[in-house]
Amino acid sequence: MSTKSTRVAAMEAIQEAARTDEKIVIISPDAVAAARATAFKEEFPDRVIEVGIAEQDAVDIAAGLATTGMKPVVVSYAGFLTMRACEMIRTFVAYPGLNVKLIGLNGGMLGGEREGVTHQFYEDVGILRSMPGVKILCPADAQQAKLAAKAMLEEDGPVYLRLGSGREPEVFEEGTPFAFGKIREVKKYGNDVAVFASGFIMDRAIAALEKLREDGIGGTLVDVSTIKPLDCEGVAKILEACECAVAVEDHNIYGGLGSAICEAACLYHPCKVIRLGLRDVYPRSGVAAELLDAYGLSVQDIVAAAKDAMKK
Amino acid sequence: MTVDELSRIANRLRLDVVETVHLAGDGHPGPCMSIADIMSVLFFEEMRLDPANPRWPERDRFILSKGHACPILYAALARKGYFPYEELKGLRSLGSFLQGHPDSNKIPGVDTVSGSLGNGVAIGTGMALGCRMQGITDNYVYVIVGDGEEEEGIIWEAAMAAAKFELGNLIVFADLNNHQSGGHVTDLSSLYPVPDKWEAFHWHVQTIDGHNIAAIRNAIAEAKKVKDKPSVICCKTIKGKNIPYMEDNNAWHKRTPTAEEVEIAREALRDKM
Repeated sequence: MSTKSTRVAAMEAIQEAARTDEKIVIISPDAVAAARATAFKEEFPDRVIEVGIAEQDAVDIAAGLATTGMKPVVVSYAGFLTMRACEMIRTFVAYPGLNVKLIGLNGGMLGGEREGVTHQFYEDVGILRSMPGVKILCPADAQQAKLAAKAMLEEDGPVYLRLGSGREPEVFEEGTPFAFGKIREVKKYGNDVAVFASGFIMDRAIAALEKLREDGIGGTLVDVSTIKPLDCEGVAKILEACECAVAVEDHNIYGGLGSAICEAACLYHPCKVIRLGLRDVYPRSGVAAELLDAYGLSVQDIVAAAKDAMKK
Repeated sequence: MTVDELSRIANRLRLDVVETVHLAGDGHPGPCMSIADIMSVLFFEEMRLDPANPRWPERDRFILSKGHACPILYAALARKGYFPYEELKGLRSLGSFLQGHPDSNKIPGVDTVSGSLGNGVAIGTGMALGCRMQGITDNYVYVIVGDGEEEEGIIWEAAMAAAKFELGNLIVFADLNNHQSGGHVTDLSSLYPVPDKWEAFHWHVQTIDGHNIAAIRNAIAEAKKVKDKPSVICCKTIKGKNIPYMEDNNAWHKRTPTAEEVEIAREALRDKM
């Protein structure tokens, strides 16, 4: 499977939008290169606000800019943004509902896999999901990231876009649509089990669905690219059809996609849901594929979880 | 306005604070008193505001970064005409829009949420940049920070950024009353001397008596002459100023005056309003 950078793709969308919307500016805590915003800076040198390595400052400055009608996009690593600047996002952006967009790089173990715990971020979705008023997008590959970035700019108010390392597999065909706030069936081989997946682990979820099919199990794979607001109606329909599910994400099992699906299941269609993600531990440095395998996110782990979910 | 008139307004605001915190049964009166003279000059002489149009894009902006001193901000807004004076009675009560800390969602005339200490300079930096980027070149962003608040690291992140962007339209007042919640600033930290810190971050720095109306007025005029640097006006002040039992007494950081104490304040300010 070929790879394409979600960082490059998202920034292409922002640069295109900036040509017709002069209010769009990028706020960088020394993240222009990391966010692949060099081309944006060349085209719009006055619209990159470089604040130095200061994420809290970046978010507050974005809040101040937004009060004047500007449309700031803050780019940084997912954890530095959502953890170090957590309070600034909550109190000064989310509470007043300001039109600030947040792009978190290296979401999950993937991306920061060789860097270790300081640069791996598997709490970002959980942190932001607990804040009223923040919408959360987790696209699954580069072309989806581009569409998600475009959709983010079209939404009013705070939106968080979770991006990866820049080496994400291209899992969907060109022209695959992206609908803000909606889940999408990726594959449907049957209603034996539902697999909800989010983000750049989608390639493994696809492989697991194929493996299940070989084993005579027809599953439904669902891409949950908007974690908040969750498409509860869509999720409920899938659960009604399948009666059991697995949620797969490169995030801690607490607070992210798995939690969101379980909450929806509790309310709309109670059934067995197995969460696959980081099992509330801090992982370590490693090659991406090996790391995911080592921490319970192998294709076989997804297959086993699906079979487990099907047991009454 | 004359110096005397502005001084009387400052004292009127001080009494407003004593009365409203008494009625609310909760609030921070002491930290309001040290900034009363600055508030008077800003709201009743200096700032370009339109209470009938609180979101006027070309207005001056005001951020009370030490947001716990909001009773005096609310008093100034009421007396400026943003909302009826009677609303002050609702301070910190369910059903009132006057929240425990400044809240731009609910209170006309408040430009940002504030009170989580340290954030005002950074938000002000964003406002000053936003105005400049949209071609509004003749307005100013004013921020009042406490001295204890300057122990927060983000103050200095913002100081670096504002200096880098040469924000001559950003004017910060540092309220140096040498008190914070837990005691003297000089006992709790190594912050002092404060002006040196701002100098080191390439700001235009002045130091004045923060209770001298003429000095406040002059310092603002001097700050406005500097086009390529943000300005800080370091104001030596007294916490609890002009309320006899509150002066330099940190017990009044957060405390409710009794009816008797309200009367003492009224008596002390009677001829000064």
